[in-house]
Amino acid sequence: MYGFEYHKPSSLDEAAKLLADNEEASLIAGGHTLLPTMKQRLAAPSAIVDLGGIADLKGIREEGGNIVVGAITTHDAVAGSDVVQAKIPAMARLAGGIGDPQVRNRGTIGGSIANNDPAADYPAGLVGLGAIVRTNKREIPADDFFVALFETALEEGEIVKEVSFPVPEKAGYAKFHNPASRYAIVGVFVSRGPQGVRVAVTGAGPCVFRVKEMEDALSGNWSADALKGITVPEDELNADLHASAEYRAHLVGVMARRAVQAATA
Amino acid sequence: MSKAEESADVAASVAEQPFIGQRLPRKEDRRFVIGKGRFTDDISVPGMLHAAFVRSPHAHARIRSIDTEAALKLPGVVAVITGRELAEFTSPFVCQQEGAAPMEMDALPVDKARFAGDPVACVVAVDRYVAEDGVDLVEVDWDALPPVLDMHHASDPGVPLVDEKIPSNLHTRETHRYGDIDGAFARADRVVKAEFRSQRLTHVPIETRSVVATWDEGREELTYYGAAQTAHILRTTLADRLGLSENQVRVVSPDVGGGFGLKLPLFREEFTVAAMAMRLKRPIKWVEDRLENLTASNHARDDAVSVEVAVLNDGTVLGVRANLWADFGAYAFYPPSYIINVIGWLLLGAYKIDNYEYTVNVAITNKCPAGTLRAPMAIVTWASDGMMHRVAEELGLDPFELRRKNMLSLDDQPYQSAPGYPYEALTLREGFDETLAKFDIDAFRREQADAAEKGRLIGVGIASVVEPTTYGSAWYKASGDDGSGHEAATVKLEPTGAINVTAGIVGTGQGYETSLAQVVADALGSSPANVDVRLGDTYIAPYGMGSRGSRGAAAGHGVAYLAAMDLREKVLGIGAHLLQRPAESLKIVNDEVVTRSDVGVSVPVREIARIAYNDPTSLPDGMLPGLEAHRTYDPPFMTFSNATHLCQVEVDAETGGVTIVKYRVHEDAGTLINPMIVDGQVHGGVSMGIGQVLLEETRYDEQGMNVSATLADYLMPTMDTVPMIEVEHLETPNPNTPQGIKGMAEGPVQGAVASVALAVQDAVARSGGRLEQLPFTPSRLLGVLRASRSG
Ligand SMILES: Cc1cc2nc3c(=O)[nH]c(=O)nc-3n(C[C@H](O)[C@H](O)[C@H](O)COP(=O)(O)OP(=O)(O)OC[C@H]3O[C@@H](n4cnc5c(N)ncnc54)[C@H](O)[C@@H]3O)c2cc1C
Repeated sequence: MYGFEYHKPSSLDEAAKLLADNEEASLIAGGHTLLPTMKQRLAAPSAIVDLGGIADLKGIREEGGNIVVGAITTHDAVAGSDVVQAKIPAMARLAGGIGDPQVRNRGTIGGSIANNDPAADYPAGLVGLGAIVRTNKREIPADDFFVALFETALEEGEIVKEVSFPVPEKAGYAKFHNPASRYAIVGVFVSRGPQGVRVAVTGAGPCVFRVKEMEDALSGNWSADALKGITVPEDELNADLHASAEYRAHLVGVMARRAVQAATA
Repeated sequence: MSKAEESADVAASVAEQPFIGQRLPRKEDRRFVIGKGRFTDDISVPGMLHAAFVRSPHAHARIRSIDTEAALKLPGVVAVITGRELAEFTSPFVCQQEGAAPMEMDALPVDKARFAGDPVACVVAVDRYVAEDGVDLVEVDWDALPPVLDMHHASDPGVPLVDEKIPSNLHTRETHRYGDIDGAFARADRVVKAEFRSQRLTHVPIETRSVVATWDEGREELTYYGAAQTAHILRTTLADRLGLSENQVRVVSPDVGGGFGLKLPLFREEFTVAAMAMRLKRPIKWVEDRLENLTASNHARDDAVSVEVAVLNDGTVLGVRANLWADFGAYAFYPPSYIINVIGWLLLGAYKIDNYEYTVNVAITNKCPAGTLRAPMAIVTWASDGMMHRVAEELGLDPFELRRKNMLSLDDQPYQSAPGYPYEALTLREGFDETLAKFDIDAFRREQADAAEKGRLIGVGIASVVEPTTYGSAWYKASGDDGSGHEAATVKLEPTGAINVTAGIVGTGQGYETSLAQVVADALGSSPANVDVRLGDTYIAPYGMGSRGSRGAAAGHGVAYLAAMDLREKVLGIGAHLLQRPAESLKIVNDEVVTRSDVGVSVPVREIARIAYNDPTSLPDGMLPGLEAHRTYDPPFMTFSNATHLCQVEVDAETGGVTIVKYRVHEDAGTLINPMIVDGQVHGGVSMGIGQVLLEETRYDEQGMNVSATLADYLMPTMDTVPMIEVEHLETPNPNTPQGIKGMAEGPVQGAVASVALAVQDAVARSGGRLEQLPFTPSRLLGVLRASRSG
């Protein structure tokens, strides 16, 4: 780690200004992704702008039939939220399956989606439900938010404020995790609701993606059986120590079926 | 004392053992629980500097030059040293192996780096941060060479030598024959082949390697603080390589966060730190980080067993021919053939097989050096039991019946194995029968068939473990390796009756401070609370061979018991004098010398101690003052314990994931000192074995880069994978050791490797899957399942 300045603004505007004034500044939320990279000297921001002091960014509320989660809400808070458990239990389970208790009590939804790790869980949840990401500048549909490996639609100086989730009729999430980190080797989120039928896959490719063929099949027949025989091409999938691209392609089918089986209203 | 006298002595004292065999809570845990343990990194010395190492980014590369100038200019950097400079004032380590080329290792490499992570220079600075910055500024001019990464092709023509001072990368190839192997194969109805291969592993102790070295310029002596499973051997080696006399070096092994066979040899980083402390006359600390630990401390396993089994159609095993391979990595911290030979002589496991031949092959490659990791011979139980299952499969016989038929029972013992090892008091068939009596295998087979109908894969594995625990000096002599198996202990009764004990064994978490107190308390009629145990400090402890294998109980506790018994004799002698009774009529109970018969005649040990130290003229005529006893003890050639493990698994047919459903162990480690501690050893060892079968793997890519260098990629077993483990004990005493202690610690790893591997194999057998390579990761397992389904 190298030296840096530390700021803790109390409003979003102040945070935006600090970002604008410090060219090499970086936002920090839970720090669970940023700090390890700084320790390894892979990131060396000149200043850290801590979002932890902005009260508006924290918390979960219902708004016009949607569930809105503030950017610095921890995974643990989402997992334990009565509203989330009642309205989108699959999302509560997704958040409760991230990492371990330490990670869940530090890591935030804003940090997770801004980072867009290819193996992170939230991208599947956001795309799988057709959520909207609200920033200090605009609203971005989840489908457009996650762009590529570690890349999002966020522009320079743009800050995630909150995420708005439509409440589905049914939704389910299943993941095959790395036993150590619990990041998804393959995670599939399925839902049926105001945003139609959605199947979103994380962990398998460089960035979360939807599987049209599965969505079509489930639109006609919402059952695990409807997915039998549907495969995803392995050529663009990730391969690492723990799973080859071929194995990941296979797991997409297995996890999609299990997600449908696990789906609850 | 003769052996017979000793066992008579044992018999007499066994009756009065209030503490041996008790599940006493561990005395040392208090300080750990309140956060007051003292590990190496807790040690800070005024003026202490910090070291960091420059490491090779190449698997194999010549060092053209090392430019340290920029690093030396960095404020806070005190010194930068290279292998070439270190070689001017230190001697290399020379590893001798009978019949093979000796291998030399410099403090740090001079001409060539031999694996990715090989340390080539050391930066010493005011703190670790500056030292790391200094490391970034050291410029090494590398000339990369092709890496040697495949042990089976390490000596192919055109492959460069890893160690240019030895004639071939195939360091060892030797064959051992016992009985009439050709005759056995000639008589066989059939020859069955089987393969068992283990991945490369590493130790991953929670506390990484750490050292603080201080040089006292006044006394001209070095103090080395750091985990040392064999503190005295380390002292000898340090003194020798630094040109010091052995009384100028003190090794202190403080609290240790896990050794697992890693913290045995003198590593190059620690040695460099000691040498630099001497040269700079400043204390220096180095604590290995996790990346260094996973890539550059020591590796293990990476071995392969292939066997041919000569059998008759009725399941009689006539003979076995084995070909064994090991990838020893880049340097020799141990004789390269040491571990693979243990696998060789142990490979027949629990079975009575007279004709045997094994060939060992050890290759030197461009990987982190291999060494001893708890149960270095872990593969043997999987291989011996696994080969019996293969035989049964090919002959169409019941595997458990076949194993039983060839398995050693108490009735066969004393027994000498084909390679000449004495098996005594081992309950192999007895434990096997007991395990099967409590597990209805026929019912399980029905359940398995039903499950298969529903697409579920379940399986069971039973392992019969023979664990060599304690190597006597005679073993070292016979094996041709340098070394001794003896152990030493000193027991002192202080003037107030408090007892101090020390021994040559060194704790790394085994609970010695409790179990040694138990044996000494029993011998001296005292209580463990009155016994303090100090280990690991060469100023205090007598020269012993330390802690390795499973020798702590039989050797370390055995000798402490014998020393305490010697002291007991003196206490009773004084008591006899004071009470005017023959010594034979006395015993010590609750810190009082009492008569065996008359109640009411007694003298407190405290009074005896006071006289021994402060009033020696009141001692019996001719008796010397003080109350201390020092003993050494050389255990028999080899002591064994045994166990039976049962593991039941379910394999997810869609993902290849394995869940362990049931785990049961029948352990027979002879007389148990503290069964709770033994249970802990079983739990830990089984967890390690599970890690080996399902999770852990050190992987190198084609360039020789370690690609499993974080704990997100090197997967450790956690409570997710490790099930509840049921442990039951048989206690069949060994007739040749003090108190009948056998010891144990590595067997649970052997048992888990075998029982989990066999259970998974059993689960996939129906679909034709054959598993020969550990670990059985989900993706590999699914690959096997899919291949066998489509094939
Ligand atoms: C051991 C371990 C296990 C883990 N396991 C999982 C897992 O199973 N599944 C999973 O999904 N994740 C996992 N994670 C990741 C974890 O969820 C992280 O906490 C999360 O990805 C990042 O959140 P954070 O709040 O810590 O972000 P930080 O580290 O603080 O920030 C990450 C990045 O996002 C930026 N950022 C943060 N907040 C905002 C914002 N509001 N607007 C714009 N940019 C922002 C930062 O500038 C930084 O670049 C794991 C992490 C660890 C350390």
